[in-house]
Amino acid sequence: MKLLSIDTSSQSASCAISEDGKLLGEFFTNVNLTHSQTILPMVHDLLEHTRTTLSQMDGFAVTTGPGSFTGLRIGLSAVKGMAHALGKPCVGVSTLETMAYHFQGQRCLVAPVLDARCAQVYTALFRWEGNTITRLAEDQAIPIQQLGESLKNVKETVFLVGDGADLCYNSLNEQLPCLALAPSFLRYTRASVLAAAAQTAFSLGNTVSAQDLIPAYLRLPQAQRELLAKQK
Amino acid sequence: MIEFTSHSTEETEQFAQRFAAQLKPGDIIACVGGMGMGKTAFARGLAQGLGLGDDVSSPTFALVHEYTQGSLPLYHFDMYRVNSFDELYSTGFFDYLELGGVLLIEWSENISGALPPNTITLTIQRVDNHTRHITIEGERF
Repeated sequence: MKLLSIDTSSQSASCAISEDGKLLGEFFTNVNLTHSQTILPMVHDLLEHTRTTLSQMDGFAVTTGPGSFTGLRIGLSAVKGMAHALGKPCVGVSTLETMAYHFQGQRCLVAPVLDARCAQVYTALFRWEGNTITRLAEDQAIPIQQLGESLKNVKETVFLVGDGADLCYNSLNEQLPCLALAPSFLRYTRASVLAAAAQTAFSLGNTVSAQDLIPAYLRLPQAQRELLAKQK
Repeated sequence: MIEFTSHSTEETEQFAQRFAAQLKPGDIIACVGGMGMGKTAFARGLAQGLGLGDDVSSPTFALVHEYTQGSLPLYHFDMYRVNSFDELYSTGFFDYLELGGVLLIEWSENISGALPPNTITLTIQRVDNHTRHITIEGERF
């Protein structure tokens, strides 16, 4: 089956076309957040270069968050539009879980981290043992220091991925020697990796219709310091 | 620090127009000053100075107005109705920080804890009915 995967959930934007687990093509940009202007032309060009058409797609995958408010709405709207028009099934995957898939096949811990601003991150924790992934922590929005607390008893290496990886590494590596930065080419969400993460759900038939695809915004905690100083 | 005394709406607008020449991509200007201080006049001057025309109105209802027809876009926010971090998130504010334009934020007091450290502060104080004392503070000013 052919799958079109789209990610616009954070700084980068990408789309990928895959067939039965094989990547046919991918378009990735990491320039700024004007995903609303770039993602559909990217899809258009990718279809052209892979000699495929939209109607040949058997399903659509999209990252459902957490992530940028605008970005999530762009990706979901694009996928909903195409899937609804063609009557094709969809799979939504957590942005953080998608990033953890960069380490498929390894034996390691992965903590995806997205910068949620104001010293907060969206994060989770996963363990890879070969091709088996185990989720050890739910997607959550927490202050960076709380992430540090939650990892302080971990004895093995934890790979940081995501656009908040540098930020977390620099704030926490002194207190947490277990942290390791994923290489920069594995740091960002990639539609090709989303395709891999969504593949299992498609093969098991765990799909949803376009209208049941919903974004997973995470509530940001009112951080330890006062975020909004009201002086009205 | 830049200080300027304006004696009319027109002078405020002209001052902002000249000030626009010193702005760079990614600059964030946080306005402090109540209603009727001339913030919209300042915004109009800024837009003119950036070559974005003068059709500028208060973004109180839309939360943000975008002026993107020039080389340096202007994103004009009004945070009067923003009361929580979640609300701020759902204005798309954090996404606008990445766009490489200039952000002008009215009622920035409401989000002061979420402003990046390099934010430029614009204070407009009332002297009398027509006179305003304008102060601009920031790393480059």
